[in-house]
Amino acid sequence: MHVPWTFKYKPKTLSEVIGNEDAKKKILKWIKEWDENPPEKRALLIYGPPGTGKTVTVEALAHDLDMELVQSNASNYRTADAVQRFAGRASRYGTLFGKKRLILFDEIDGITGSADRGGLRVITQIIKKTDSPIILIANDAYNPRFSTLRKFCQLIKFKRLRKTQIARLLAKICTMEGIQADPEALKLIAERANGDVRAAINDLQALAEGKKRLTFDDAAWLRSRDRKEEIFNVLRRIFYAGSVRSALRAAQETDVDLDMLLEWIYENLPYHVKDPKELASAMEMIALADVYRGRIATTQNWSLMRYYLDFMTAGVSASWSRKSHGWTPFRFPSRIATMSRSKAERGMLGEIGLRIGRRCHISADRAAKDVIPFLRLIFQINPEMRKGLARWLGLNEEMVNYIIGKDQ
Amino acid sequence: MLVKKLTKGAKVLSYEMWTEKYRPRSLDEMIDQEEIVQRLKSFVKEKNVPHCIFAGPPGTGKTTAALCLAQDLYGSGYQEHLMELNASDERGINVIRETVKTFARTKAMGEVPFKILILDEADNMTSDAQQALRRTMERYTETARFILIANYSSRIIEPIQSRCAPFRFTHLPEDQIRKRIEYIAEQEEVTVTEDGMKAIIDLGGGDLRRTINILQTAASTGKPIDEETVYSVVGRANPADVREMMLTALNGDFIKAREKLRELLLKYGLAGSDILGQIHNEVFRLSIPENWKVKIIEIIGETDYRLMQGSNEEIQLSALLAKFVEAGEEIKRES
Repeated sequence: MHVPWTFKYKPKTLSEVIGNEDAKKKILKWIKEWDENPPEKRALLIYGPPGTGKTVTVEALAHDLDMELVQSNASNYRTADAVQRFAGRASRYGTLFGKKRLILFDEIDGITGSADRGGLRVITQIIKKTDSPIILIANDAYNPRFSTLRKFCQLIKFKRLRKTQIARLLAKICTMEGIQADPEALKLIAERANGDVRAAINDLQALAEGKKRLTFDDAAWLRSRDRKEEIFNVLRRIFYAGSVRSALRAAQETDVDLDMLLEWIYENLPYHVKDPKELASAMEMIALADVYRGRIATTQNWSLMRYYLDFMTAGVSASWSRKSHGWTPFRFPSRIATMSRSKAERGMLGEIGLRIGRRCHISADRAAKDVIPFLRLIFQINPEMRKGLARWLGLNEEMVNYIIGKDQ
Repeated sequence: MLVKKLTKGAKVLSYEMWTEKYRPRSLDEMIDQEEIVQRLKSFVKEKNVPHCIFAGPPGTGKTTAALCLAQDLYGSGYQEHLMELNASDERGINVIRETVKTFARTKAMGEVPFKILILDEADNMTSDAQQALRRTMERYTETARFILIANYSSRIIEPIQSRCAPFRFTHLPEDQIRKRIEYIAEQEEVTVTEDGMKAIIDLGGGDLRRTINILQTAASTGKPIDEETVYSVVGRANPADVREMMLTALNGDFIKAREKLRELLLKYGLAGSDILGQIHNEVFRLSIPENWKVKIIEIIGETDYRLMQGSNEEIQLSALLAKFVEAGEEIKRES
């Protein structure tokens, strides 16, 4: 069963929640005040960016103080009636076994005008006369919609976590999962998460689950995923540019790697440009850009770079009349996709290729392309030759089966 | 190799790749590429070899020439003085630099004061890696000579080119290939009919490694090799076909045509120049207006030249296919 690590490693007690020490202290102090009399502000409004531990803090607090947590989040209806049903009674009466009660309204940013009409107003009313502590959680406390509500709440801010804090947590999770993780890889994940612990843990799980080791290379693709939005944005600006100059500017203003950008344009062009004449002209521009790339490489004269850029952006854009072609989603360049084929496959094919290459004085790559197709046939046709050649090439049974195609 | 002679009369196929079994062991055994062989022999005689670039299409004897040169130069035990590296197998220039350093540091024993380092697929290196390689070459030039092997020499950066003696390998002529195939068939005691021989040479496309692989695969059937056997064998090794790709483009489906192109390049490892050659052969057989044939030839020529200059095969050939789509559209409109 797939258990999200954010769930598996969710802190149970307050001491396990990382970061935001000041905020946690303030919350604890406020809740202790309830032991005497209801404090001046009967509700807390905890706010801050996603993944900073707002909800888990409240949950851990309830656990530590043995309180009954009554919570509602965005997935529940928060119309006036629904709120009243949920919290109205809870706020006025004690629990069955004398436990103290803590009422939590999570994700109140999600209480929208039309669907949950009146919800906020009712929450405000409940706060005024509640006998139980109420905690509200929002990303943005200064949303004008909360202006009335804010007056009755003590505000507590949660800050983004530091990179080192997140990396330390990731390292702990890796230890518990039995993963040997390169500290640099964890640093990269932590950095990319931008203070969001949940995102960092999710990324870690995506990268490392089931592995024995996590290397920096494994984590490095996070960077390119980061770039995806940016690349899409540049592509949109080039493909749908109003003028040749704005297409050029789109590429100048981004720091997307130009070779990568060329691959993206090359891959996506035929899906966007349907007219044969325009397509031929646009493809020729890509080809010209490529010619200049070659010239730069051989002459090492980087001043030619501007033509490379011109052809791939302005050239492509000018080839195309852009009469409402409708929206077509962008595709990941298959030339790059081939490079990042599944590791297992690359591993097996690569290993076979290397063994053949060693014997035949060619690269693993060339062996895979030139020799394996013939080897496959020989292996299928003639078992005796298969045995002999496999021995000569140093291929084990698994490799032979792979070549024959038994596993495919 | 010896197995064959054990049982007289009964044919036992040997268990090696024939491309290796019949790889020449000395420059004297090399077929064709005469000028190159002569120059290399003079290096052996003088016991001095400059840095070299061997450029040319696959299966034309580049690696063989380099290995033969080393064997002639050092005699038996030549392996100690020789290192083969493959730019696309060795991860990164640092590996290469380290390996080279360790290899070149110890001075060669014997009368030849340097070792030889063969760097295959050198044109697959990024220009940054090539810059680093250039420094390595300079630094160890006393103790190590480099032979860079590439499909296109123009993809090697100029500073390296200018330090190397260039050798251009060309497709082997048909009669030389035929002689070699006949020789191997005789040694292996396989019968090849005349039409079978023609088919093997035809499908080999001037690439001797490929031609020998076709022969060995056809021979694995254990039957006399005729045209049908050859085509059924290679047909199964090579289902995608250049002509089909052209027709797909002419019919207006660029995306599918590009997929076929990718299949030819990536899966079947055809060289871009070979695909162009086949396209060129096909153009005059197509049923399209005469003036278009000539227009297309012009574009093919330009594309071919660009490939020689080191442009990207897939991108250039894709641009050519897009022209086919355009041509197909115009032809439809005209008729």
